[in-house]
Amino acid sequence: MARVVVDPELCQGHTLCNMAAPEIFQLREEDGHAYVVVDQLTPEQVPLARKAELGCPERAITVEE
Amino acid sequence: MATDDRVVVEFDQHAPEYRETYPAPAHELREQCPVAWSTRHEGFWVVTGHEELSALSKRADLLSNDHDPEGVRNGYQGISIPERGTTRGGFIEMDPPEQSEYRRVLNPFLSPAAVVQWQPLIDDFTRACIDEVIETGHLDFVDDFANIVPAVLTMAMLGLPLADWEIYCEPAHMQVYTAPDSPNFDHMLETTSRMVERLAEYVEIRKTEPRPGMITALLNAKVMGEFLPDEGIIGTVTLLIGGGFDTTTSLLAGALDWLDTRTEERARLVDDADYLVSATEEFLRYFTPAQGGGRTVTQDCEVAGFTFSAGDRMFLSYAMCNHDPASFPDPDEILLDRFPNPHAAFGLGVHRCIGSNLARLDFKIMLREALRRIPDYRIDPAGTERYESIGTINGYKHLPATFTPGRREGPPLAEVMETWQARLDAEPAPENLRAGAV
Repeated sequence: MARVVVDPELCQGHTLCNMAAPEIFQLREEDGHAYVVVDQLTPEQVPLARKAELGCPERAITVEE
Repeated sequence: MATDDRVVVEFDQHAPEYRETYPAPAHELREQCPVAWSTRHEGFWVVTGHEELSALSKRADLLSNDHDPEGVRNGYQGISIPERGTTRGGFIEMDPPEQSEYRRVLNPFLSPAAVVQWQPLIDDFTRACIDEVIETGHLDFVDDFANIVPAVLTMAMLGLPLADWEIYCEPAHMQVYTAPDSPNFDHMLETTSRMVERLAEYVEIRKTEPRPGMITALLNAKVMGEFLPDEGIIGTVTLLIGGGFDTTTSLLAGALDWLDTRTEERARLVDDADYLVSATEEFLRYFTPAQGGGRTVTQDCEVAGFTFSAGDRMFLSYAMCNHDPASFPDPDEILLDRFPNPHAAFGLGVHRCIGSNLARLDFKIMLREALRRIPDYRIDPAGTERYESIGTINGYKHLPATFTPGRREGPPLAEVMETWQARLDAEPAPENLRAGAV
């Protein structure tokens, strides 16, 4: 099974992952930094998570398959 | 200094040639070296490679934003190259952990969840500004539109009188477009210091008359049991005015100018919300309103294969890195559905633009409404005037256009201003933690 992680040290709250895949990435109310809300990615979610990984300006997102 | 193998260039981001040929200088510089040494402005590294920028931006431990004009800490010159002003420019001219404390206070006002609450204000002022000109068939997209809405919004969020936007408008723009060698530079410094004095008065007033907003939040904040210093708060309020007034304005002007001849794109931006989302990122990448940031190297070090010495100055050119073909194929084309687009228009690392969520919301509403209500506008190139220097902000002084007149959709701007001021005044004052503490 695949999963995706956001490195909290690298995330600076650009919010592009949430725009690409809100069902996978949510934003903290206090500062807009991202966190992952799914334990495992469904096969349908993998390309969305990959999209977020590619689009992250801080390269804070990693998809692990 | 000349004994190493650095690539030496003569680059000046404030020069008219840079403005006239942007983004071409990005490629000329990068092909020589993605981290080159410019001999201008007493010497500085200029970073034009996106990969190198990513590596450098993570090193807030080696690259300082500090500005210490009085030389009490390190004498560093802050984020402007050449050094600008005799005071620190708020938290963007601080390093962590001090910088983080200011951001911790302000983040709750600027998070995605918080900024959405301002959408009704943005909607109303956007509508009213267009109404003011819709029956005439001509407008200046900068003076009549893009200058007003972001500025009023900034006033509201700070907890300042809305109508005062007009007092800060000229100084806020002048401070970013005046080149260091301009004959108007001294005049700009005077105008800026008058603006800062006025803001300082308001910070003082808010100590006894708290209002909802960022100024009172800064006044109420404590770090290690101490209130934040006045100087840091005043610098921060000045920074928020600059960031709030000028950057969204510049992005809108750039987008509307580019869309002048693109009627198909205009129509799709009105109808297709997803297209507007990706287009916003692409306009940010291409124009990069806040062009870059200056840093000072804190110790001898090596990053991304380049060797730096303590005290070296460095210009992280977000704009030129956003045109690096290694990360952005066909970088000088505006492709409104570009993906991926991991641009650096808001900066990278711990200094990421704190207002990015607000800027996106404001920009999308304003662009969509301008295109919806003024669908056939044509820019008047003879009246178009860009900033004299785009080295700080890539923007426009004037962007006049003509169009087929239309109909008003609501009450006039002055009435909207009064209605919103009354609405904000009716909100209960926050607790004043300084009462009795001074």
